[in-house]
Amino acid sequence: MHSSTTTPPAEPTALGISSQKLGIWVLLGSEAVFFSSLIVTYIVFHGRGTSGPTSHQVLDVTLTAVNTFVLICSSLTMVTALSAIERGAATATRNWLAATALLGLAFLTGQAFEFTKLAGLGVSIGGNLFGATFFTLTGFHGAHVLAGVIWIGFVLARALRGGLTQQKHEAVELVGLYWHFVDLVWIIIFTVVYLI
Amino acid sequence: MSESNPTPSAPPEPKSGASRRTYVLVFVALAVITALEVGVTYLPVPRVPVLVPLALIKAGLVALFYMHLKYDRRVFGLVFLAGLLMGVGLILSLLALFAPGA
Repeated sequence: MHSSTTTPPAEPTALGISSQKLGIWVLLGSEAVFFSSLIVTYIVFHGRGTSGPTSHQVLDVTLTAVNTFVLICSSLTMVTALSAIERGAATATRNWLAATALLGLAFLTGQAFEFTKLAGLGVSIGGNLFGATFFTLTGFHGAHVLAGVIWIGFVLARALRGGLTQQKHEAVELVGLYWHFVDLVWIIIFTVVYLI
Repeated sequence: MSESNPTPSAPPEPKSGASRRTYVLVFVALAVITALEVGVTYLPVPRVPVLVPLALIKAGLVALFYMHLKYDRRVFGLVFLAGLLMGVGLILSLLALFAPGA
């Protein structure tokens, strides 16, 4: 009983691999270049301001370490969601996807709290070079987390409609790849911006 | 009969390759290394030579196990590596040109 609304499987490439998955990896490769440019801009310019607070004066390592732990937890829940759908456990998949989205929202809440706190200390994107490079780098990362949460929401909605099965679950794998990449980028940002 | 109809206690292996135990072990490693990194900031040790390798180990664990590069087709890793190499080249080039003291 073939349904007319069934999504056709992704076209394989000449290499015999999923074109959608290859597309995600190309996207992640280009995102690596994008974030590299933001990270090196921060490294070069954040200490060159002649006025206003500096990173070591205002950044809260403890708060951000907690936020980092939240993002690491979300990577575990995401990969567990993929493992669950590969076993055909639909309910567990929905639960782990929902947990991942909630952890992503928790990370964004922590980041919003940090940005508010910094604004209270006089740090702004137009204030000095530290503020400009810091908010550009972490803001773009936060936007990627938000995009990931929205994407997970769409996949979760599809799972709730019964659209994911043990045989047809590439959507979970694709959003998982993106989500883990966002986590990977944060690992580097946490070290470069907050720890060094 | 039992050969063609596996028992419910033997679920099929995940396609992605890694076991759930591996995922949890990677999570523990990431959490422990993060705690170590924060601890290092309180010690009188040079930060860059210690913290950068720790961050690269964490990033490598995520890419190899959570993004399945260790188990997946090599072409995906090569595509990603191309972007990473361009990014690292960009960072090193701009640091050489503009870093303080360059």
